Amino acid sequence: MIMRKLIIVLAAVFAVIGVVFVFLPLGTLGLLPIGLALIFGFIAFKMSAEDQKRVPKVVLIIAALSLAGVIGKEVFIKDEVEVDKQFEQKKIESEKEAKKDLEELDGLE
Amino acid sequence: MRKSLFTICMLLVFSPGFSQIKANEKFVYAASYNMAGLMTQLAQVTMETNTVTTSKSTLLHLSCQAETFTKWDSFFKIRDLYESYVNPATLKPVMYKRDMYEGGYTKKEKYIFKPDGKTINSTVKKKNKPETRKTFAVGGSTQDVVSILYKLRTVDFSKFAIGQTKSFIIVFDEKEIPVVVKYMGRETANAGNLGKKECYKVSISAKTDALKGKDKNLIWLTADAAKIPALIKFSIPVGTGQLTLKSASGI
Repeated sequence: MIMRKLIIVLAAVFAVIGVVFVFLPLGTLGLLPIGLALIFGFIAFKMSAEDQKRVPKVVLIIAALSLAGVIGKEVFIKDEVEVDKQFEQKKIESEKEAKKDLEELDGLE
Repeated sequence: MRKSLFTICMLLVFSPGFSQIKANEKFVYAASYNMAGLMTQLAQVTMETNTVTTSKSTLLHLSCQAETFTKWDSFFKIRDLYESYVNPATLKPVMYKRDMYEGGYTKKEKYIFKPDGKTINSTVKKKNKPETRKTFAVGGSTQDVVSILYKLRTVDFSKFAIGQTKSFIIVFDEKEIPVVVKYMGRETANAGNLGKKECYKVSISAKTDALKGKDKNLIWLTADAAKIPALIKFSIPVGTGQLTLKSASGI
């Protein structure tokens, strides 16, 4: 009985971590806690009596949804860099400033 | 992380020879970091070249930029810009600039290599600290971390025996750092839009705490005239990572 509870706690903890990973930009790293949540959730489900399967079932559903979330993000959200106008402006200004400095250096030679 | 993956990568890629570097080259890389055994893509690194003319000279402008992917910007935003203005024939630097923004931390550096070739005037401005200026002596062949990357591409590795080394000196954080490049043979590597390419595999070691492990900091340069860095693997005190070439143009 204690073992079953311990496994449910572990499954729930990994499921929560999995949910967090869905929202973090860590890619497939989220599969680790989700995988563990699924494994512990499945074990707990099998160990539970018919009238005690509700909690492991909820944990398994959360883990499965998190799995879909992580895989969906990997498939549909590409690694892209948005055009950062501020950074682009910084590059232009840096080159302008450099040209001015290089002209001054020319004057020293 | 603050010392930046990009900085480490810059340390890795650089070395010497006679220039065959063209203007208007553009290489785009995906930078990944090893998290719990999985390579997680963090940022895009872009290396570009263009010509800059002043009233008396024509220089090659080498720029390396690192930008975190949009999904990372809310967590740890990186916008690093490293630039070097070099003699297009010898790749000897005239001016080096570094402008970094990493998770709120900022640092700007400018090194002016004096015409005597042995002195650098540096200006450094760190976040919440006053600007500092310094003049320090360097060797005549000292490169900055950007130009050394391009210098490495001018080394004729086809004449190297496996295990043969070549030494360089770079200046970084106002200090000279000896760098040794060791040729490790040929290997095939993925080179983005260029497909699979036979490459020269070289190991970089530097007398700095920034790089860890023996032969853990590696660069695969395409075994052709362009010698494009196709893959860069690095090992630093806080982990390992790599830069993989996504696209190369203007070669």
